[in-house]
Amino acid sequence: MAGGSVSECKEYLFKVLVIGELGVGKTSIIKRYVHQLFSQHYRATIGVDFALKVINWDSKTLVRLQLWDIAGQERFGNMTRVYYKEAVGAFVVFDVTRGTTFEAVSKWKHDLDSKVKLANGNPIPSVLLANKCDQKKENSNNTALMDNFCKETGFLGWFETSAKDNINVDEAARFLVENILTNDKGLPYEESNGDRIKLDQEPVAAESKSGCC
Amino acid sequence: MEGSTEEEYKEKLLWNVKREVKQIMEEAVTKKFVHEDSSHIIALCMGPCALEYTKLKTSDHFWTDPSANELVQRHRIHGAHRGQDAAAGRRPALGIRKRQSSGSMSEDRFAASAREYVESLHQNSRTHLLYGKNNVLVQPKKDMEVLRGYLSLHQAGDNLTLKWTPNQLINGTLGDCDLEKSIYWDYALTVPLRQIVCIHCHQRPDSGGTLVLVSQDGIQRPPLHFPPGGHLLAFLSCLETGLSPRGQLEPPLWSQKGKGKVFPKLRKRSSTARLIDQDRNGEEQTAADYVFRIVYPGYRYDATVTINYHHTTGSRAPSLDDDEEEEDRLHAMISMICSRNLTDPNVMKDHGEMMEMQGFGGSPSSWQQAEVTTQESLCQSCSTAGSNLSFDYPAGCTCIHDPSDIHTVPLKMLCQNMKRQIVSRAFYGWLAYCRHLSTVRTHLSALVNHNIVPPDRPCEASGGLSKEVWSKYQKDCKNYKELELLRLVYYGGVQHEIRKEVWPFLLGHYKFGMGKKDMSQIDAKISERYQQVMREWKACEVIVKQREKEMHSAIFAKLSSGSSIDSHVLRLVHRDSTLSNEVFMSVDEPDAGSQETPSGEDSTPTMTTLVPPAALPPEERPMVEFDSPDSGLPSSRNYSVTSAHSQILSSIDDGQSTEEEGGVGEEGRTSSVLGGHQDSLTEDRLCSQLDKLVINGAATEGLSPSLSSYTMELLDTVALNLHRIDKDVQRCDRNYYYFTTTNLEKLRNIMCSYVWEHLEMGYVQGMCDLLAPLMVILDDVGGLEAALGLCYDGILDSELFELMQQNGDYTHFYFCYRWFLLDFKRELLYEDVFAIWEVIWVAPKISSQHFVLFLALALVTVYREIIMDNNMDFTDIINFIPGGVDVPCYGLCRSPALLPW
Repeated sequence: MAGGSVSECKEYLFKVLVIGELGVGKTSIIKRYVHQLFSQHYRATIGVDFALKVINWDSKTLVRLQLWDIAGQERFGNMTRVYYKEAVGAFVVFDVTRGTTFEAVSKWKHDLDSKVKLANGNPIPSVLLANKCDQKKENSNNTALMDNFCKETGFLGWFETSAKDNINVDEAARFLVENILTNDKGLPYEESNGDRIKLDQEPVAAESKSGCC
Repeated sequence: MEGSTEEEYKEKLLWNVKREVKQIMEEAVTKKFVHEDSSHIIALCMGPCALEYTKLKTSDHFWTDPSANELVQRHRIHGAHRGQDAAAGRRPALGIRKRQSSGSMSEDRFAASAREYVESLHQNSRTHLLYGKNNVLVQPKKDMEVLRGYLSLHQAGDNLTLKWTPNQLINGTLGDCDLEKSIYWDYALTVPLRQIVCIHCHQRPDSGGTLVLVSQDGIQRPPLHFPPGGHLLAFLSCLETGLSPRGQLEPPLWSQKGKGKVFPKLRKRSSTARLIDQDRNGEEQTAADYVFRIVYPGYRYDATVTINYHHTTGSRAPSLDDDEEEEDRLHAMISMICSRNLTDPNVMKDHGEMMEMQGFGGSPSSWQQAEVTTQESLCQSCSTAGSNLSFDYPAGCTCIHDPSDIHTVPLKMLCQNMKRQIVSRAFYGWLAYCRHLSTVRTHLSALVNHNIVPPDRPCEASGGLSKEVWSKYQKDCKNYKELELLRLVYYGGVQHEIRKEVWPFLLGHYKFGMGKKDMSQIDAKISERYQQVMREWKACEVIVKQREKEMHSAIFAKLSSGSSIDSHVLRLVHRDSTLSNEVFMSVDEPDAGSQETPSGEDSTPTMTTLVPPAALPPEERPMVEFDSPDSGLPSSRNYSVTSAHSQILSSIDDGQSTEEEGGVGEEGRTSSVLGGHQDSLTEDRLCSQLDKLVINGAATEGLSPSLSSYTMELLDTVALNLHRIDKDVQRCDRNYYYFTTTNLEKLRNIMCSYVWEHLEMGYVQGMCDLLAPLMVILDDVGGLEAALGLCYDGILDSELFELMQQNGDYTHFYFCYRWFLLDFKRELLYEDVFAIWEVIWVAPKISSQHFVLFLALALVTVYREIIMDNNMDFTDIINFIPGGVDVPCYGLCRSPALLPW
């Protein structure tokens, strides 16, 4: 719990989904984010797994992220509607080394948007994660294409991530939480501290840290 | 030990209290008002301090269910945190009720600001102002000055309230803050009239009258002095009006033509016909004292019995001085006694005496100043009659049944009617509940076999199926009853060393009583079939791989030539984007052979491979809903492919299978790789044979098996499933010693074979989990398929279970899903899994077809305690119910004896 006195510290609980085809690294991303661990051998998720991450967002805000790790085979299972309920944000993950998983992204997004919405009817904020970027041999200038794709499909932004090498996981999470917070009415968000992401700008930290162009 | 548990207890208590306080403070900050009935306040007031069940649990608690009482109290604690709405609705009013003042008005001061209070003295929407008079004098205490104030009578619904407020508080001379703190608040009066039983009225000539209110407990209020001018009478008549219809004054005020209400004419009791002629000089001039009772006829008092007494002193002088006080004191004493609920109906011994005392009927009513006759509102017999449904008055009853009583009779009927309705509703509610319980019981009983095989007959079974018993059985299998063996397994498990031999029986692979010859026959048949199956799907796999390679090269060629991609290729791309294994660019070298994704070239034209589906021409745009590679449901979803849809193939992951190359020429290498691994395993003769078969098979089928021998759909499906299997195999129980690369490959083979035979169902995530323990125990290919089949029923059931759930919002059953899907395999350590599975397999014969439900119940029970102890909300619960971690479940695997029967 935050140390601030009651009247100052606001606490949020956000349900965030992590979805994508099987084997793209959802569980790994979550484990990396929450426990700072990585293993090649996490078991295949059956149904749904949960994780909780507590973020000291700032001195006045505490964010508790309830991460829902949904099995990759679930997309058209009947459980997704139940899983999605009342989510306020989502990560859609694909594996850069397997094109099929990218193809499936729009389907996942579509499934998501059809089953859960914000109170005002808008789709919930979603961030696209291109995982396993550590296995990508070359980096190419596909940023523009990805940006386009995101715009068309309705993602707020995208990140190249690697759960294995801990690339961009925290950044992606922070980005998503920022967007969720702006949706949340209760928070006066006037004090922008410069990290605020504008939706039509280049996503921050889209490039991996490993120095590729 | 004791000390630390106390510490924990204290800490827990403290934490609970802190949490409540926190909630309250937050509520106060965010909301304008905090209602007294706010669940948080209530919880704090009745919370940890007030409960008897917040003591630490003793060891007894592990084996017994908490009593219902405890649960309710516990639940009330927790219920207070969540859903205020629910709590408020259900909770009986343990609210902080405003206590009606019996003298001081302190509550009023806190409840509303002084200003509001003063304003409330006037007519407003909430209360009806029946009477208001200023300059009513009150001497709040002895030795104090007499204060002038405003007397007001308010009615709100059925409640009458009398208020008297010193002028100092009303006239606005005090500023607001002074007003709040003024000492005069101490003198203000607020009297709820239902507390008042008696009003003494004293009148002096040439001065107004005085009222003394006496309440049930004998307390008198300071006398209220009315100014002269008929105000006292006016007040009384307003009071009488306000009291009706439920209540009335005894004696009621009389109505006089032309004058409205007047004081009732009194008679001295002892005198016979002395009439006080009130008309002569105007009543006000006459000194007259009255005692009015406030009664509620038609309502039975709990403290119904009042003692009748009367002054034995004869008539008393009209003067009032000390007598009045003494009388009041006496009366107060009597009232106090009365209110002590003397319900003995025999107090009134002499009925006749009672009648006379009542002064009704025959003798004229005599109210006399000296006479304080307290009377019952109803005579005793009528009181008791009031509770009967009929209206039989005992003969001789002379209580008021005259016309003025008419309005009380229907009231009585109404009450009885209501009572009857309430009772009957309660009864029907209870009846419905019983019926519901009965239905539930019927359903529950269907879950269990009618005759549960007992644990101790013919002998104690908790030792389980031991090696000795088993070898005895093997020597003489005809002599052993299957049921007996199963009973042993159920109550005591199978000794680990013999599991490998016993499990095939449990799984139905062998039948009990079979001889060795039969068993080998079965084995041979099975393995032959297995080989066949392997051959088939391996052949198909070859084709699939080849296809990929072709597409690889096609794409590569096209892309490197820089030409635009024609629609055909595009379609291929979409059908199998292993081609662009890299999402962004690099295209695989066709013969990479390495584990890692091959490097490719970076060229801008290749960007177009990654065409977002929307950009495709409509006929090639993949359908959104139903052709996913990874649909959750088996059957139609998996296989609902028509050529009009372009289905997306998933690639076969590179680094995993050793069959990297699809080319026929590579077969030999493949098999030798395999053969090399597996020579070391004694049980794997099958696989090596298999490899040879594969080679031979491939050879005989021709070096270039044509695409047309398989349909597109089939190939797609196979590829898809292979991919899924690979993904899961790689992740299957990697922390367990058994799953070396070799064994993983065995796993894969078995899985593929199984799926090949059940292609319409396809591979579902979780199958590997089911297969794994079987492999560990059986360590043999033969029979594993059959075993898997048995387990797979579990999966199927769970799919149905899931289908059923989709209509309800069983959000809290997330954790159950995996339990049932995998038969708890992920919830337990491996060793425990073996034991649990044995019990599950034999349970249908011993106790119940639905044994898994009881297992789940047991798990839930264990968890529930923990959840409740730690006050978990949904977030906490879903984090707590183990996910992905091996959790040894204490007590669960000892024996089913612990389970709920």
